[in-house]
Amino acid sequence: MDQIISDASDFHDTQIPNISQLDALLRCHICKDFLKVPVLTPCGHTFCSICIREYINRQSKCPLCLNELRESMLRSEFLVNEIVQSFQSVRTKLLEVVKMPTISGSEDKSLIELGSDLESESGENIQSSKELESEEGDDDIQIVGTNQTKSTLRHNLRKTVSGPRINKSISSIESMFTKRQTNVRMAQCPICEDFYPIKTLERVHLDECLTLQSLGKKPVKRKASSTDTGLASKMTKAPSTSQKRMKSLTPPKDDNISHLERYVTSVVDTEHQRLPKLDFTAMSLSQIKQKLSALKLSTVGSKQDMIARYNHFELLWNSNFVDSMDPVSESELRRQLTSWEASNNSNNVNTNNNIGRLMMQTKKADTKTVEYNKLLKNFKNDKFSRTEWATLFNKEFKQLIKQARRNLEKDRQKLNDENDHEHGIEGLTEPSIENSSLFNKNETS
Amino acid sequence: MSSKRISKELNDLRKDPITSFSAGPVGDDLFHWQASIMGPPDSPYAGGVFFLSIHFPTDYPFKPPKISFTTKIYHPNINANGNICLDILKDQWSPALTLSKVLLSICSLLTDANPDDPLVPEIAHIYKTDRSKYETTAREWTKKFAV
Repeated sequence: MDQIISDASDFHDTQIPNISQLDALLRCHICKDFLKVPVLTPCGHTFCSICIREYINRQSKCPLCLNELRESMLRSEFLVNEIVQSFQSVRTKLLEVVKMPTISGSEDKSLIELGSDLESESGENIQSSKELESEEGDDDIQIVGTNQTKSTLRHNLRKTVSGPRINKSISSIESMFTKRQTNVRMAQCPICEDFYPIKTLERVHLDECLTLQSLGKKPVKRKASSTDTGLASKMTKAPSTSQKRMKSLTPPKDDNISHLERYVTSVVDTEHQRLPKLDFTAMSLSQIKQKLSALKLSTVGSKQDMIARYNHFELLWNSNFVDSMDPVSESELRRQLTSWEASNNSNNVNTNNNIGRLMMQTKKADTKTVEYNKLLKNFKNDKFSRTEWATLFNKEFKQLIKQARRNLEKDRQKLNDENDHEHGIEGLTEPSIENSSLFNKNETS
Repeated sequence: MSSKRISKELNDLRKDPITSFSAGPVGDDLFHWQASIMGPPDSPYAGGVFFLSIHFPTDYPFKPPKISFTTKIYHPNINANGNICLDILKDQWSPALTLSKVLLSICSLLTDANPDDPLVPEIAHIYKTDRSKYETTAREWTKKFAV
């Protein structure tokens, strides 16, 4: 219970509480965790592939709207998959950033709003004095040529995130402008209120700024041109806004690239066929075994075990090869199946504890699957090693012996063969083991 | 999966407690919880605190949790064993539901009983024919067993 459980409400007490909605929307309504291999239902709802498939095996309806739903109706959603993953990859950082106890709202404004310059500038100044960590570092990167030595540690930190990219863009823009403007007069743009060389302002910037504003965006790149004119001291406030804009743009970019590519290049696996559901009621034990071994699955356990094994494998298989955009190998699926069985069986051990030691004995065998399977392979032929088997189940055998002795004492007056008969009944579930232990006991006593 | 989801629900309940009830595991067993519901103020159960026992099946949330009242209560949809007749605990269960939603439904069942699908027909009959008698008895039982 101590594991850290991320939750949409983590964002409640941050500067942008509405992120919690985004967080909640990216979660599966069955497992309540972030969507893993999301699939879309015809009714427009999205769940993890495994979750919804497991539910459809029990109920053919959508958990949210209760409309009819069959497995064949599910469609994978590569886009949602990438959205979830890219959100997850920035989540921790995002939470950190918005959790910072800054002057309420000032950072939000500078990040989100455009053109409210005087206000946000002053806000920033207060911020940068109070909140050196985030703001000062920004300034450093911003005024690339002039002030680089200041607060290098933080600077470097930030650089690893967004620095190189910004530098690159700045220098490329610099090269665009250096030729024209060596000693130009600067003027303030009435829209974004940043400083620009007059010519640039009149010819290019005003139009751009107006268009950008009408689109609800902010003019980002011009800033760099102003820094390289040597008026950096005048500009310090203006750059910091642009810097922040850059910052707000770059980190997502960093993540988007890979996720975008993954999404664009995603293809459906056509190599693997969908695994069919089987009607086990009409199948004999050997037929089921055949099916399992055809899939290279183990055929140990009862008929019930084998059916459960096939069904879960079918679930893993179809979720992996039909829905997932980067499926894992078959052998990995088999490994997942084994661990699923192991955890399932260990659950059973707990619940069955009070049912009886014999049950426990058979279940415990499953937890020692590897050895057990190895030994069991030879169970039917001569190679079966009794001593190894006995050491493996030493504890269980001892318990059985104890139990048998207790019963022996009770029934001492009865005839010997009657005793044997009774123990035989006790050991119904695994007669071979039972008998061997009884023989041991009889020999020792 | 079930234990992860149950711990998540527990986490949610701890973070955003709901005023009308409280719930949590009994000891270390994540699959066995108990809850207490405050009698809704606009019902004859007002002022009472009702205890419930909750068992999550191992295949939760694909199967509904098993919930029963441990406090005696006079209600057409709750019998002497504390069993609750509520559709979302049976055939209308959906894995998208959470324990907290179910407990809220139980709260509203206390306010608005469903006498057309009764678990105790006698109480349902009284509820339908003589509402004040039902309310008096429910209030008496609340005072006797739940205060």
